[in-house]
Amino acid sequence: MTPPAEEGEEPPLEPAPAVALAGDFPSRPTPAEERRSLGALGLDPVWDPSEDLWRVDVPPEGWVAAAVGASDALQHPLSTLFGEAPREAPGTIRVHALFLGIRPSGGVHLRCALDPPRPTLPTLSTTLPYVAPFERELTEMFGVDVSGLADRRPLLLHEHHPNPPLRPGPASAPDGRRVEYSFRPVEGEGIYEVPVGPVHAGVIEPGHFRFQVVGEKILNLEARLGYTHKGTERLFEGKPSDLGSIWAESVSGDMSLAGAAAYAYAVERALDVAVPPGDEVVRGLLLETERIAFLLGDVAGIALDVGYAAGAARANRLREAAYQTLRAATGSRLGRGTIGVGGLRRPIRGNLDPDLATTYARWREAIGRLRDEWLGKSSVVDRLEGTGEISRWVAELMHFVGPVARASGLRIDLRHDRPYGAYVGTEVRVPRGLTGDVRARLVVKVEEIVESCRLAEEFLRRLPADRSPLEPRRPPSPGERRSGLGWVESPRGEFLVHVTIGPDARLERVHVRDPSFLNWPAIEFAVRGAILPDFPLCNKSLNLSYSGYDR
Amino acid sequence: MTERTVDPPPRPARAPLPGPADPAASPIRYPLGPLELPVGPPRTPLHRAERCEGTGACARACPTDAISVDRSLGPTVVELDYGKCLFCGLCIDACPSGAMASVRFEEMAVRDRADLRLRHGPPSPPLAGSRLADEVRERVRRLYGDSLAIRAVDAGSCNGCEVEVAALLWPRYDLERLGIQLVASPRHADALIVTGPVTRNMRLALEKTYRAVPGPSFVVAVGACGISGGPFRDSPEVEGGVDRVLPVEVYVPGCPPSPVSLLYGLWLALGKVDQRLARGEIPADALRSPPR
Repeated sequence: MTPPAEEGEEPPLEPAPAVALAGDFPSRPTPAEERRSLGALGLDPVWDPSEDLWRVDVPPEGWVAAAVGASDALQHPLSTLFGEAPREAPGTIRVHALFLGIRPSGGVHLRCALDPPRPTLPTLSTTLPYVAPFERELTEMFGVDVSGLADRRPLLLHEHHPNPPLRPGPASAPDGRRVEYSFRPVEGEGIYEVPVGPVHAGVIEPGHFRFQVVGEKILNLEARLGYTHKGTERLFEGKPSDLGSIWAESVSGDMSLAGAAAYAYAVERALDVAVPPGDEVVRGLLLETERIAFLLGDVAGIALDVGYAAGAARANRLREAAYQTLRAATGSRLGRGTIGVGGLRRPIRGNLDPDLATTYARWREAIGRLRDEWLGKSSVVDRLEGTGEISRWVAELMHFVGPVARASGLRIDLRHDRPYGAYVGTEVRVPRGLTGDVRARLVVKVEEIVESCRLAEEFLRRLPADRSPLEPRRPPSPGERRSGLGWVESPRGEFLVHVTIGPDARLERVHVRDPSFLNWPAIEFAVRGAILPDFPLCNKSLNLSYSGYDR
Repeated sequence: MTERTVDPPPRPARAPLPGPADPAASPIRYPLGPLELPVGPPRTPLHRAERCEGTGACARACPTDAISVDRSLGPTVVELDYGKCLFCGLCIDACPSGAMASVRFEEMAVRDRADLRLRHGPPSPPLAGSRLADEVRERVRRLYGDSLAIRAVDAGSCNGCEVEVAALLWPRYDLERLGIQLVASPRHADALIVTGPVTRNMRLALEKTYRAVPGPSFVVAVGACGISGGPFRDSPEVEGGVDRVLPVEVYVPGCPPSPVSLLYGLWLALGKVDQRLARGEIPADALRSPPR
């Protein structure tokens, strides 16, 4: 039995003063240095202010060198990769790869035009292993032949999808061919398989898990997803740019506000829409409240899965209070229909309780006490310590994001690294775990709740006294094709939305990169060598979004 | 957070919880006691025919085509389908004459899909009979009225409805005080609550889960997606609602429906309360608080 943590023994977290943060990051190049580095790679970058990235067009044969250069020389991980059937060049496919810099601005946006009718692109997955799911999606959706990609199984589309649905040109009728799916084989004496799902035992989303087990020990886990694939990205197309937040909210519905905000920032950047500072402060307040409610759910879930019902009940009481706060402010418990392009859809400030700051202070104190109570219970801590470990090396190699990465020791947080809206000029303390196990994830999440309460209190202080009603703002018709990138540190981590808007202000292509798209492999690493009964605990501590992955 | 009075049942003294108890998170008695309406701006849209000028602005603003305005027959016919509604409020913002207003109304669940459809304007539609005969309803009530085991199935939801279904187990709503359990397997269940627009990739799993429930059983469709496909209804990747695949006994609108709305829906399914929404008309007593 592990003794309970005592004060002064092993600090669960490094203290996170703002001044020490700079030393934590490898020093990143400035945009000017980036330009020189890209030039040294033989590339000719163009600064794109609507994305805060260097945009580079490369031919397919220069794709790997440019991507690896951006990733290695510039130390920017690949944030997302997606295809587009550009309207200005019908019949062609354009592939985008975005490398976000961990700096207030900077990074690289690679674009590559592929030739019809047999579009091919060399794989990046041999150098950057976490890119494989992006390339599998590109293959199944656009019919791009990604040469060298080892795993060519479909990702989101299941057996009834013989044709790439986003491939430009006339749609060919389904030929009735079924695409068979086979799991990675693991064979040996005494090894048996446990299939789980897609319908799970709890009130959670659907997905299939295939375990290869010896006795109780998990040798390997493979997750197969796609069950909640709704073709969301296609639904944006043709919609007016101010209406798209409806679908952005429904990518991961438990982070509706983060989705709506990331979408709004993307459109605002594309169309140069200015947002009133007061609205940005309210957005920040709502986003932090959503984070509090969301992370309290993780805390409660971990408690339930170690059989600590009292801890779960207490966390869920606080969580209910957080959702009611959102309901009181916005009319929706999840804050839906509130964040729009150009600011807020409806006035919020008049709905805020004058004593709201006291409420956040009360939560901050309550969650702190809850944490102390948790970590003082040896029977709880024993289940958490050493369970579901993800090393810092794996987290970095696989480019995990959000609390999962932070618990493994990476200090990445878009609110700090690439601030947006109300976070510009705001100090955000980013907690970081040391051990990468369930305990580290729990403690990081608790510290994030505390920090979110503090930020909410700060945003409340910064709310302008002015309570004038909102002027309805419509995004202007640009008269030309525009694109923009929005990013938000959602409760699960980096949430990206990339939009292309046509001259008529209608959406032509929207790509949504939920943080869980990067984080899903974490579960496969976390349970390796664990016992099967610890799977739910590992799963809950990672809290991956199925709908965000599948869209 | 505004203080609210609830009606807590007498309970024995216990060790205090960590942190000051938040009255907003205290247990409710509903549906055994009165419904406390949530604090905050109203979000349920309401069409007031007497103010309607038939501009059709609401229908154009609606992201899910939940509203239609037809003037081709002469008098304006406005149809509002709460089964498609996301409660986003865009129709209310768009209406130039104040005909679209909003109220606080949580008890929206219905047995008949047609009862989610409001229609204003002549000629009035013919009333169809209720889908389930009273005797069957009585049988459900007799069988499950005091003990119901439910299996929740996510048929492609965005996970918004799951937040609220899971909230039924939180201390505030405490579903099990009503004799209702969420169970881990369809083999243990009497009923399914199904969320999501039923993606093509989940259809087979949903059908198999339904067949695994021992009969007699029933299905509750939850949320705009579960009822009509919601914002995903135009996607080729979804079937567009649970009743395209399974027979549905009760529909609970919302995006997502609040825990209280879900409690009402389950209570309605058990035959413990009367349906409040009839042909899309919100009952007069719910309109007493002035719409804004």
